Amino acid sequence: MSASIEIAGVSKIYDGGVRAVDAVAMDIRQGEFFSLLGPSGCGKTTTLRIIAGFETPSSGAIRVDGADITHVPAHKRDMGMVFQNYALFPHRTVAENVAFGLRMRGHDKASIATKVKAALAMVELSGLEDRRPAQLSGGQQQRVALARAIVIAPRVLLCDEPLGALDKKLRQQMQFELKQLQKKLGLTLVFVTHDQEEALAMSDRIAVMNGGRVEQVGTPAEIYNQPTTRFVADFIGDTNIFRGERTTTGAGAPALDVGKGLILALPPSADAQGAGALSVALRPEKIRLSPRGDAAGGAAGTCAHGVVENTNFLGGAVLYRITLEGAHRILVQQPNAGTSHLFIPGNGVTLDWTPADLVVLED
Amino acid sequence: MMKALGSTRLSRRRFLAAGASLAIGAIAAPHVARADDPVLRITGWGGKWGDVMKAEIGPAFESEFKCKLQTDSAFPYLPKLQASSRSAPIYDVLHTNSNEQWAAAEMGLVEPKVDPKLVPNLADVYPYAVSDKIVGVSIFTSAIGLGMRTDKGYGSITSWKELWDAKYNGVRGGYVIPVNSLGQAFLMMCGTLFGKGQTDLDAAYTALEKLKPIKIVDFTGAMEKMLLSGEVGLCVIHDSGIYRYDGQNQPTDFIAPSEGVLSLEQVLTITPGSKVKELANAYVNYMLRPEVQKRLAETVWYSPANRKVKLDAKYDAKLLTTPEKVSKLIQVDWKWYNERKDEIDQRVNRIFRA
Amino acid sequence: MGTSAAHNPSLASDREAASRQAAAPAHAAVGPRHYGRYVYLAINIAILIFLLAPIAVVVVFALNPTPFIQFPPVGVSLRWFEKFFASRDFMHALGFSLEVALFTTVSATILGASAALALARGNLPGARLIVVVMLSPLMLPAILTGLALFQTYVLLDVGRPTWGLVAGHTLVTLPYVVRTTLAVLHNFDLRLEEAARNLGASPARTFFEVTLPLIKPGVLAGAIFAFIVSFDQFPVSLFLVSPGNETLPVTLFNYLKFDLDGTIGAASVVSIVLAFLVVIGLDRTVGLRSYVKL
Repeated sequence: MSASIEIAGVSKIYDGGVRAVDAVAMDIRQGEFFSLLGPSGCGKTTTLRIIAGFETPSSGAIRVDGADITHVPAHKRDMGMVFQNYALFPHRTVAENVAFGLRMRGHDKASIATKVKAALAMVELSGLEDRRPAQLSGGQQQRVALARAIVIAPRVLLCDEPLGALDKKLRQQMQFELKQLQKKLGLTLVFVTHDQEEALAMSDRIAVMNGGRVEQVGTPAEIYNQPTTRFVADFIGDTNIFRGERTTTGAGAPALDVGKGLILALPPSADAQGAGALSVALRPEKIRLSPRGDAAGGAAGTCAHGVVENTNFLGGAVLYRITLEGAHRILVQQPNAGTSHLFIPGNGVTLDWTPADLVVLED
Repeated sequence: MMKALGSTRLSRRRFLAAGASLAIGAIAAPHVARADDPVLRITGWGGKWGDVMKAEIGPAFESEFKCKLQTDSAFPYLPKLQASSRSAPIYDVLHTNSNEQWAAAEMGLVEPKVDPKLVPNLADVYPYAVSDKIVGVSIFTSAIGLGMRTDKGYGSITSWKELWDAKYNGVRGGYVIPVNSLGQAFLMMCGTLFGKGQTDLDAAYTALEKLKPIKIVDFTGAMEKMLLSGEVGLCVIHDSGIYRYDGQNQPTDFIAPSEGVLSLEQVLTITPGSKVKELANAYVNYMLRPEVQKRLAETVWYSPANRKVKLDAKYDAKLLTTPEKVSKLIQVDWKWYNERKDEIDQRVNRIFRA
Repeated sequence: MGTSAAHNPSLASDREAASRQAAAPAHAAVGPRHYGRYVYLAINIAILIFLLAPIAVVVVFALNPTPFIQFPPVGVSLRWFEKFFASRDFMHALGFSLEVALFTTVSATILGASAALALARGNLPGARLIVVVMLSPLMLPAILTGLALFQTYVLLDVGRPTWGLVAGHTLVTLPYVVRTTLAVLHNFDLRLEEAARNLGASPARTFFEVTLPLIKPGVLAGAIFAFIVSFDQFPVSLFLVSPGNETLPVTLFNYLKFDLDGTIGAASVVSIVLAFLVVIGLDRTVGLRSYVKL
């Protein structure tokens, strides 16, 4: 049955001192779709390979359902894995590929046949049993890889960028199906990806990694709405990041002086007593945009004036790049409310926001 | 894999024997003599000589002297002997041509003389067989002279010098001197014919230059074939290379030129490090026995060294079997030749490459 | 993924497969390329003639009734084949050559494939240097290899055993197996082995179930090279054959010195046919073909 995984202070240091994984700690819950997200070289794949047993950590431990498996060889870990580019055995048929894990486990022929049939039916590949991998399309190969991994009823399913080689449409469809399958089987699934949209769409929780470290672990909403670090805020979606010195508004509320005449009121949650430099993030869609002069002029620190520099039409929304009077540049996203409500480059605009939407970042 | 070989004649027994030999690191001897029999390791020719040795003369020796003969008929003998240790040489008796024997003797690989007390038959050999031009003992000799086609109307040939006649341009045959004993002996003959004697190399080189165009081969056997096919009309060759086709009605004949024939000796020597010296001497003595000499002489058309051998009339008529005929033999000073071999090789290569 | 009703995944996949096939290179044998194709064909025919002409001469020599090469041939006769097959020496040499070639093939293949695996995977220090050393018997004149081994055996006082000859042949055939195996290992996707491990295969099973079948074409190609090179080997054998146990090429060479007749041609034809049969046999039994379409 599905298991929980505890990654306890795992580091991987290669010859030459490169820290591929640096003191990573996280708990992956049973039945959870858990993503490791980050740019290439962030250590997400190495972490996955450590879980699979292909790499031995330099320090730290891996526990599955509380049992330490750090030094258990890969072939005794009972984990399924879907590889990038699938790693199907080219010299074996589809059915033989799927049967491989069962055969290694010493199942008898009849039960292998039944299970292979069921697994192939589950991924809708019935009838292709005797094909070679090279005779299949990319999507079909992906399904074979998935069937091969789940047919052994693994305690954990590991996926290393499994959808990376598919075109966009097929990819979205497979995301949906993989998620459904995971829920249906109650699989604990560890999913490595560099695609933040994919991670946000599929995961129960996400660990954002950078430079071998975990920056933040949280649900997609937490990761998006309350990024804790500058890296996470920047990596996930579009955002405006400001850095400045603490100050106060005329009303005595805590604020941030980001220079060039722009003062940002800080959310009440921000420590009013603090001093010194600080970074904050403000999502483009949290900013309201109105024609200049229309607005009643919000409180100090919650509005600014600027000129639309260019627009990016996204369909359901429009992204504006705006130059503020103080020469700051800022991204603003507005829902597409109809042609008559759109701004064009050169329009003077007023921006306003709620201090609570500012997220204070760790540096 | 066995299945794949299909038509091979690898029997199961041979296969196992070879497997066992691989495993225990020993030779799978095809016919195992009694383990305590001494082994005499010799060299020997292949061809008809090898057939008769293997079928009759070798086994007779083995049973008479209670030993086992191990004959290496894979060339080259001298480098192998050279590579093995002096105290445990790879051969007990070395059988090869005189020039190679001289090279071996110079390196101390073989004993220069055979002791008449240990080889009684030595008393019966012609003087050439133990002359100062020979290390060890010559048990047979061939005569090197001229071979000709009898169907080309060349007329009667009596002299070596006939070979230089322009009418043989295109059908003249000779050897690659650096690798062929006949070619080397012929070079010495050129010195005798056109200069002050065997050692007159300058005269010989000039004469060789005038022999062109000439077809040259490395194996003596190849010359026999070229003469038989008519590709060559007149060539340097040894008598046995012509006589061995006796009875086949080939239009070829051997000429013993009036200036004399060169001897091509079959020489036996004993290695100083041999552990079975007594047996080695017995073998040399055995090879000089009249009946052994007769059998081999009549097989391969070699002239026996033993004076007492009486050959059948057919052979007697053609081979050198009387003191008179033997006196026509010219022996080559191989010691002298070997000392200058590199220089001669370079020079003749230049002559024939041009 | 049985629950997805909105999209039809197999349709999408089939579309992908179809577009892939369409992308296969169409044959463009029109226009200016036409001329180039004839040149290409002519060059290939010339190369074939160059390769096959010596074999043709040997066959003519073998079938010619006269004991010397005659052109044009005066007839066809099997007398040289009869002589070859009737000769105890030749038959013994043929059997011995096959034996040696067989043992050489087995040892060179096992050693060479293992060495290649160790070199490709072992993360050995100085692996490049080791490869160069492994291939060095190819660069050294084989006659020197033979002489050096002969002297070694003499020094060790082991005589000239059959295993010594096999060792010599193994030495000169090993590079072929190492090379061909390294070539397939070079393109080997290590994730395939990880996939097997992940599915529960022990390292040994991973090797036999995945690695070996996938490198087989290279190993087999090396084995075929090893067999042919050993079977035709002359320079190394020259010093290492022992009295009474001579390989066919050495026997032929010795025979050549005394009798130059069609028997040599007949022996060559038999050798060629045997080598050919072995290649076909290996192909059929161990199966080269099924792995060509990877």
